Amino acid sequence: MSSLLSDEDELFNGFGSETLKTGNHMARRVKRWNEISLQPKNSTDFVARDAIHEANFDDKDYVSPGQLYTTESGRLFHAGKILVALVGLPATSKTLVSVAISRYTKWLGVRTKLFHISEYRKNDTDIPDDYLSAEPQSNEGKIYKNQLVDKVINDMVFFFQETKGQIAIYDSLNIRKDDRRKVQEMFDRWGVTVIFIESILKDIDLINKSIENAIDSSDYKNWDKQEALTNYKKRLALNESLYETMTEAENTSFIKYINFGQQIIVNNNHSGYLINKIVFFLMNLRDKKGRVYLGRCGTSASDKYFDDELLNEEGVRYSRVLTDTVLNRIKNIRKKQFIKVKNENIDIDEEFDPNSLIVWTGPRKRTYDTGLFFLEEGIEVRQRNQLRQLHPGAVGDLSEEEVQKAYPCEYKQSLIDQYHYRFPRAESYHDLAVRMEPLLLELEHMDKDVLIIAHESTLRILYGYLMACTVIDVPKLQFTRNEIVELSFGPFCNTIEKIPLNI
Amino acid sequence: MVFRSVSNEKDLRLCVVMVGLPARGKSFISQKIIRYLSWLSIPSKCFNIGTYRRDLGITEPNFQFFSFTNEENFQLRERAMKLAFDDILKWFNDENGVVAVLDATNSTNERRKWIKKHCEQNNIHPMFLESYCNDNDLISSNVVDIASTSPDYEKVTLEQAKVDFWKRIDEYKEVYRSLSLEMDQDISFVKLINVSDEIIINKIQTYLESRIVFYVMNIRIKPKCIWLSRHGESIYNLEQKIGGDSDLSERGFQYAKKLKGIVKENAGNVELSVWTSTLKRTRQTAQHLPYKKKLQWKALDELDAGVCDGMTYEEIEEIYPDDFKARDDDKYEYRYRGGESYRDVVIRLEPVIMELEGQENVLIITHQAVLRCIYAYFMNVPQEESPWMSIPLHTLIKLEPRAYGTKVTRIKANIPAVSTYKDKGTSHVGERLETGSGAHSLLTGTPEIKK
Repeated sequence: MSSLLSDEDELFNGFGSETLKTGNHMARRVKRWNEISLQPKNSTDFVARDAIHEANFDDKDYVSPGQLYTTESGRLFHAGKILVALVGLPATSKTLVSVAISRYTKWLGVRTKLFHISEYRKNDTDIPDDYLSAEPQSNEGKIYKNQLVDKVINDMVFFFQETKGQIAIYDSLNIRKDDRRKVQEMFDRWGVTVIFIESILKDIDLINKSIENAIDSSDYKNWDKQEALTNYKKRLALNESLYETMTEAENTSFIKYINFGQQIIVNNNHSGYLINKIVFFLMNLRDKKGRVYLGRCGTSASDKYFDDELLNEEGVRYSRVLTDTVLNRIKNIRKKQFIKVKNENIDIDEEFDPNSLIVWTGPRKRTYDTGLFFLEEGIEVRQRNQLRQLHPGAVGDLSEEEVQKAYPCEYKQSLIDQYHYRFPRAESYHDLAVRMEPLLLELEHMDKDVLIIAHESTLRILYGYLMACTVIDVPKLQFTRNEIVELSFGPFCNTIEKIPLNI
Repeated sequence: MVFRSVSNEKDLRLCVVMVGLPARGKSFISQKIIRYLSWLSIPSKCFNIGTYRRDLGITEPNFQFFSFTNEENFQLRERAMKLAFDDILKWFNDENGVVAVLDATNSTNERRKWIKKHCEQNNIHPMFLESYCNDNDLISSNVVDIASTSPDYEKVTLEQAKVDFWKRIDEYKEVYRSLSLEMDQDISFVKLINVSDEIIINKIQTYLESRIVFYVMNIRIKPKCIWLSRHGESIYNLEQKIGGDSDLSERGFQYAKKLKGIVKENAGNVELSVWTSTLKRTRQTAQHLPYKKKLQWKALDELDAGVCDGMTYEEIEEIYPDDFKARDDDKYEYRYRGGESYRDVVIRLEPVIMELEGQENVLIITHQAVLRCIYAYFMNVPQEESPWMSIPLHTLIKLEPRAYGTKVTRIKANIPAVSTYKDKGTSHVGERLETGSGAHSLLTGTPEIKK
């Protein structure tokens, strides 16, 4: 290295003492995202199943829809490895909370995996009678419980050590101090931060709903409903006396999640960003009382991006059918629920509460107008700016052939990574997902049914979040004007049904 | 203004109502919230009741003024409260405000009820944010800070001020009632106990509230310094190319060597954490620093210039003239083809900002655009200006966040380097000396504390 030049020499020699080269000879090689090498799944099957329990990140190139960048280590935010352990009696919706957290953190790109203890015993046939107590008394019971817990812990350790895992969610009772201490000590040794989330339900309606969910779960597959209920109540009673709620004295970090997020207490948490992000999510997670309906907007004369047209006749007809179909569907569901609970018939048209449904639409005229018939029924229709469709930029209003012709290079590029690729002046699906995040979180606390009328691009993002789709799937999802998609939130996974529109 | 990162639920107007005894860091937290929300493009404003009290002529009160048994003074303080509240309403109505922060002690139930009632009458959702603290060290250090900076104590000695302020706290203690899950279950509130030892959250209803609480959870009140530097001059800087992953130039390496001494000289023996991006030029700049904790953040990588990576501005202007112009027209929002905009960088910096709030002493070595964003956050620089700020090479910047603003010190390494500053409307690179070009000049401006 030659000695430093003086300022004057510098000026005299133009820029500096070193030979200038042309071209991008020291280019930035590491991109924001790894190149995607995931293969698309079978296209008929991705629409139907919630992939929340699929560890699609076993692939080293894993990148998820809301992920801002990929890292060498596979872990994000220098947040280390985190074990989220649920705590709580049966029927406190621990499974639901675990699944919901995992949906969000996975969407953010954090390699998250669910470990439901109930899944581990699902296939065992001779389970000791007292196993369902947190503190089995019989020898067999003790041995069985220890074996099961050891197996889950081993799997979690493997997940952290061997698969670049960052968050493991341990869905088990953990109502005994000793059980929690064991977990804490075990993972301290592996350098994993442990955070407990204790779910406490005091509200009787919430408890009943949670019991209902439990007897619908895999634990009670093929059971008679009444027998299942009796058994479950027994399980609950067995554990109530064993329950040790979390206190500061345990010297652990914990979050108390009370009545589905009405109250949250965070204790001794100095672990930073990612755990705070989970608390942030919990603030938005509530007991969801409705379903989500996804539908396209009606047609307009030329269906162009660049002019904000009104609906044409066919579009108005579509809106009518959409309104009737959705309302019928919702009323039927309400009616069934009513009959189930009250055991008597009901005139649903009389009893239907317009406040139990809200319609969100994109900000364009034809999208909003597609919801107008709902207004006549006294139902609120709200334009949401976040539902603005993907900005197509330079390729707006061009057909695929035209794009191919006008932007051959760009077109080729776009096929490699449809999710992240952005045409000149356009948004990518990723850009869209990032700006839609607030809306996704709002869906986590909907206390009514919501119908979302929007452009296909935004429906893809919503669906992708709610059904845990990969970045390969999202751009390929299809929403047609022949049907609407009904999504029901389940504690273990979300399910969808397609409802045909008879046009 | 369209906000893309935070929900704009219809007509949502939120008033964050601070609660807590004096010297509990309320003003600090209020200012932080405002700065953070502004950075995310959410219209927000802080209303400090002390200012209104001073406007009413009570400029240098001693502790007796704050006695709750003195009816006359009590009425004066109530008036100050009402004036502040009127201003809040005016701001929501006239300027389409979204988040107001009411910075006052609001220590009694009656006061809080009054606020809740008036908020709700005006279609504003109140969220109470209490800073509860019984950590004496923390309180003492806050007392010193206030006694030395508050306009209330301009005319007395620091010792007198401290004594008086402790007495003022005692006056408030007489009537103070903390928020609790038992008594206040109907209101939305957050209670921070000793900053973040324990956090109690009740009835948070909207995304926006959760966002603010999330932010507050990451804040530590302890005084700290943040050190910022661009990487040393790189080969691409010399070649006037943007982006890339080039090595440092010879002078860049000189800076890396010298940086160790400069940091030591200014930071003393404090153990710093060093954060760099994953790109070579920042790691090379940090290589001689003697600190154990060094982290590479992908979130600190330079704004991705996409297809323009490795080009000079002249080349961009020639090959992508429309893009070149579009970027100059709206530099904050412009996204490079296949790359990022400043807004995108702000979004990906979230984890860095949050971690930074929780840390004590950090030295960040990163890139021009990223530093502009971080600097804008601490200094409350508006979006239209931040992408045009000049942040010179071979300069160490020291930030000291305080209750009412951030103090900046710039330390030049005296190693010459090219300028990488590009002004609006030209592809020429270099500092323009005349002012008024829209650039918020860090190079020539004087250090200041932004109020």
